[in-house]
Amino acid sequence: MKKKLAILLAMVMIPASLAACGSSGSDAPAYRFLEEDLGTESYAIGFRLGDEELAETVSGAVQALVLDGTYASIGEKYPDIKDFLCLTAEGIDEASLPEKGSGDPEYVFKHGFDLDYPPYSYLQDDGSVGGFDVELAQAVCEYMGWGYEAVPFNWDAKDMELNAGSCDCIWSGFTKEGREDLYTWGITYSDNTQGILVAGDSDIKTLADLAGKVVGVQTATSAYDMLEGDRKDLADTFGELKVYETYTIAYNDLKAGAIDAIAIDLTAGSYLIAGDNQ
Amino acid sequence: MTLSTMLSTMGAGMLRTCAIFFLTILFSLPLGMVVMFLRQSRFGIVRVITKIYIAIMRGTPLMLQLLMWYFGPYYLFGMNIRGYRLPAIIIGFSMNYAAYFAEIYRGGFETIPKGQYEAAEVLGYSGPQTFFKIILPQVIKAILPSVTNEVITLVKDTSLAFTLAYNEMFSIAKQIAASQTSFMPFVIAGVFYFIANYAVAFGMERIEKALDYYR
Repeated sequence: MKKKLAILLAMVMIPASLAACGSSGSDAPAYRFLEEDLGTESYAIGFRLGDEELAETVSGAVQALVLDGTYASIGEKYPDIKDFLCLTAEGIDEASLPEKGSGDPEYVFKHGFDLDYPPYSYLQDDGSVGGFDVELAQAVCEYMGWGYEAVPFNWDAKDMELNAGSCDCIWSGFTKEGREDLYTWGITYSDNTQGILVAGDSDIKTLADLAGKVVGVQTATSAYDMLEGDRKDLADTFGELKVYETYTIAYNDLKAGAIDAIAIDLTAGSYLIAGDNQ
Repeated sequence: MTLSTMLSTMGAGMLRTCAIFFLTILFSLPLGMVVMFLRQSRFGIVRVITKIYIAIMRGTPLMLQLLMWYFGPYYLFGMNIRGYRLPAIIIGFSMNYAAYFAEIYRGGFETIPKGQYEAAEVLGYSGPQTFFKIILPQVIKAILPSVTNEVITLVKDTSLAFTLAYNEMFSIAKQIAASQTSFMPFVIAGVFYFIANYAVAFGMERIEKALDYYR
């Protein structure tokens, strides 16, 4: 019995000891992006093909939120995203927008997103669902007078969820490029740049330095699509392109020195390294 | 996020994990018995169908089966699958584990020599009496270790429910790991699985001892 107790105790102590290590305090950032990037893309809201009416209404409501300042004030809460918000009041025709509270009050807008994708959609510190996209979607529902339902899904199954009707849209840092014909697209509300993340003391300075190195990427992301598509030439110079289920694991591998770099968009990457670069 | 918020957020997931576990056990153990009988049916066609069923259940990944059970009704019949997430998961797990249990049961029944059935008949036992009073108690004793193995595997397999975005404990662990860029949730998840399986192993050991009445 004593032995069993000792094992249990050890299992409880491991997390406690792991929690202690982690932060490092030197002048140079622990992790940094290469100055060269892989390309820029736009984030938009994806609706079922043919769902033009909903796409138009939601896009109109987003524009209305730009005019009343809600869009910017939500952006203020997410410093990693702020610089990438591309909508401005300029060129928005107020007359064409849906009126406030003009939506069907019975309608519940089912917002489909990935809960593993900070800072767009993720678990907040208090355990609730949040993120820029979630807050913006909630603001849209509030504006229209709709109900809001969060539908977190598994990113690999997003198309099945959308087609089967368990959600009305994919809105979770969703890249439009390369998917133009697959969805009915709503408004582009943010852009983003794909970059390469390396350790602060790494000797990798340019994309050319990645030759022969091991680079990690998350499956089904636009960084991954880019390296398999337009930038295949670059990916071919890598020693290996390691595909992960989530960036969290890839980042742990980078910390541990098991891989040399991570291909990731700047907002998600900045969020990832924020804790270690303090 | 503080450790206590982390634990309480994951605690909600643990309840869902337990729901998957207990419901699957509840349905798959008896269903396995049915499958075993069908597998040994007098009718050739039933035997063949059951064999194909077992082959598919054991021969394809459970993750894939879960996707089929959930999205299948929509893609095949255009059904509205709202609110069907948990039922699909329970059906998927139960059908899969029933196939494994059926084969374990079959192995158990095959250890009983034919002589026992003959002896029971000579002593005037009826069919059901022979089955419940003589054969079944021996079979249960023989198969318990294998069943324990499967049940422990099931505890860990519950994490596959993330495929259908059912927010069980491991999905939440991944979400917290992403939002906090921390490894801690995985460690907590590991401790939880370990403790749960320790409890299962402990309980099964107790049952085994209780049934060990000939020593």
